[in-house]
Amino acid sequence: MSENAENSGAAAPVLEAAGIRKSFASPDGSSIEILKGASLRVNEGESVALRGESGAGKTTFMNILSGFENPTSGEVRWAGKRIDGLSNSAQARLRAGFMGFVFQQYCLLPELTALENVELSSRILGRFDRRAKSKAKELLERVGLKDRINYMPYKLSGGEKQRVAIARAVMNSPKVLLADEPTGNLDEDTAKNVMEMMLGLCRENKAALMLITHNIDFAKMTDKEVFLSQGEITEIR
Amino acid sequence: MPWWLYIALKQLFPSGKIISFFAAVSILGVALGVLGLFGTQSVMNGFHERIGEKLRDTTGDVLIRNFGQPIYDCEKLCSRLEKLPGVKAVERVASGPVMMVCNNVPVFPMLRSYDTVKNESALPFEQKNYIKMGKLDDLDDDGIILGSRLAAQNGISVGDTVEIFSPTMLDKLKKDEVPMPASLKVVGLLNTDYSEVDGNVALVSLRRMRDLYGLGEAVHAIVLRLGANADCEDFAQKLRYKEAIPYRITTWLTANEGFLRVIKMEKVMMSLIIFLIIIVASFSICISLYTSVLRKTREIGLVGAMGARAWQIALTYCFQGFVIGLLGSAAGLALTWLVLTFRESLVKVIVGQEALIEFYHFASLPVKYDPSDALRACVFAVFLCTLAGVFPAVRAARLKISEAMRNE
Repeated sequence: MSENAENSGAAAPVLEAAGIRKSFASPDGSSIEILKGASLRVNEGESVALRGESGAGKTTFMNILSGFENPTSGEVRWAGKRIDGLSNSAQARLRAGFMGFVFQQYCLLPELTALENVELSSRILGRFDRRAKSKAKELLERVGLKDRINYMPYKLSGGEKQRVAIARAVMNSPKVLLADEPTGNLDEDTAKNVMEMMLGLCRENKAALMLITHNIDFAKMTDKEVFLSQGEITEIR
Repeated sequence: MPWWLYIALKQLFPSGKIISFFAAVSILGVALGVLGLFGTQSVMNGFHERIGEKLRDTTGDVLIRNFGQPIYDCEKLCSRLEKLPGVKAVERVASGPVMMVCNNVPVFPMLRSYDTVKNESALPFEQKNYIKMGKLDDLDDDGIILGSRLAAQNGISVGDTVEIFSPTMLDKLKKDEVPMPASLKVVGLLNTDYSEVDGNVALVSLRRMRDLYGLGEAVHAIVLRLGANADCEDFAQKLRYKEAIPYRITTWLTANEGFLRVIKMEKVMMSLIIFLIIIVASFSICISLYTSVLRKTREIGLVGAMGARAWQIALTYCFQGFVIGLLGSAAGLALTWLVLTFRESLVKVIVGQEALIEFYHFASLPVKYDPSDALRACVFAVFLCTLAGVFPAVRAARLKISEAMRNE
């Protein structure tokens, strides 16, 4: 167990979801409740894996945690501050410096080089300067892409693209890194490599990691493992 | 630089490329629209200015006429007019249609007098070198200067003799007298580059003209030349009310008012039609940007996840439209200059110089660049292109991050 996990009892919660319920209207007009009071607490620097069957509501839960969607009921707090009542604009402003994202599909902007993709985080945060530029370079070096910094995304392999996406996610030193199936499109070796890199970068940046994965081995690499089933979250480790 | 501006520029000019295909085509479309609009306006301005200049050169600044009758007290009136401040020249003019016969072919030009005694004209024949293959000094009572096109169309050269029959000869016929035509030797050609004059007008001495029309010491009109920047209308008003001259006083502007108004109207109508090209170009930009929003749905979701606000995402697309409009306008102005610089060669290839002379009265295509036309064309293009970006911008700004990230 990591040092963070050992201290998790004393650490402050950086991300909290309490009693989250979420319903969607189905095409026939009835209401489908995906989340039925799901709760989760992620402490500073802690890594948590969220597992669950396909369609269980993992991505919906992550969307609510990140403020992309509002819950039908329940509370979401970022570093103790309730965000589910904030406007989209206020949430976006907070999110820029508070959260980083890694998605299954990499989502690099095709008209930017690897370096420019990483720098984009600091541009959106409004803190792009010479230091940010050198930090972006350092991060790309850290993820093993020193000789690829000026490559366009279409010239990079899947693993390389995901490493650029990870560097971009930690560029603003976020408190939380949310990763939704980050290794879903990668082969086994590359996926393991990317996973280790992500965990390492989170540790170095003292960022909490919220990982959504189907992969049990990768889930075991985190400090805490939770399972989403029947709209509720159960801690399994 | 704000990130949305940076992304907008990067989408138009991506790293590793000079320009994206979409941006290049869009900018070219706008440039062609601006070329069409500003080019047409410049040519129409050129026509307006050149026709105005020729009308002034061949009409005179101010004309005094006696409501269809000759002016009998012209000497007294002329000496009065010569003393007025601002008057550069006063010319007694007799003019009217005649029948001219050469090689047994009759033509009906307009004859105008030139005062060979005073050797002075209110029209700039000498100053602008309008007399070719001869001089005004060569004109005497037995000579005639023919319009260059009139001479060319009838195969007449300098040195040939033409016979002139005036309308007053009809009176002689009625009295059973045999009218004798005046035989005049061609001593030069009038070439103003304005086919309306060059194809219809001939100059004779004032004495000969008075004789042909039986005017005695009278004239048909008195023509005044004022300074280059003089306000002819204002001067005409002064003659009417302050000097109380009891004749009909017109200026070259009022005398040709209808014609000049038609040219102006033609410019407006052509501009309106060509505006449509820019509107079509802006629709293309709108469709392309909208397609880009659909194609980049997930990327838009990503920047939203990274903390971009909806208005910033909207500005990314509006700004792309703005930049396309701006660059398209600049390229359009440059293209206009390029095309109009080589207009003579283009006109020769496309319509032929003869057609230009026949229908537009000029041997060359006149152009006048008016900065206000350029500004209007550019502002219109930039406005429409920015507007074209609004619809895609609104669509992009309304995307929900969660839905955008799920987009396949």
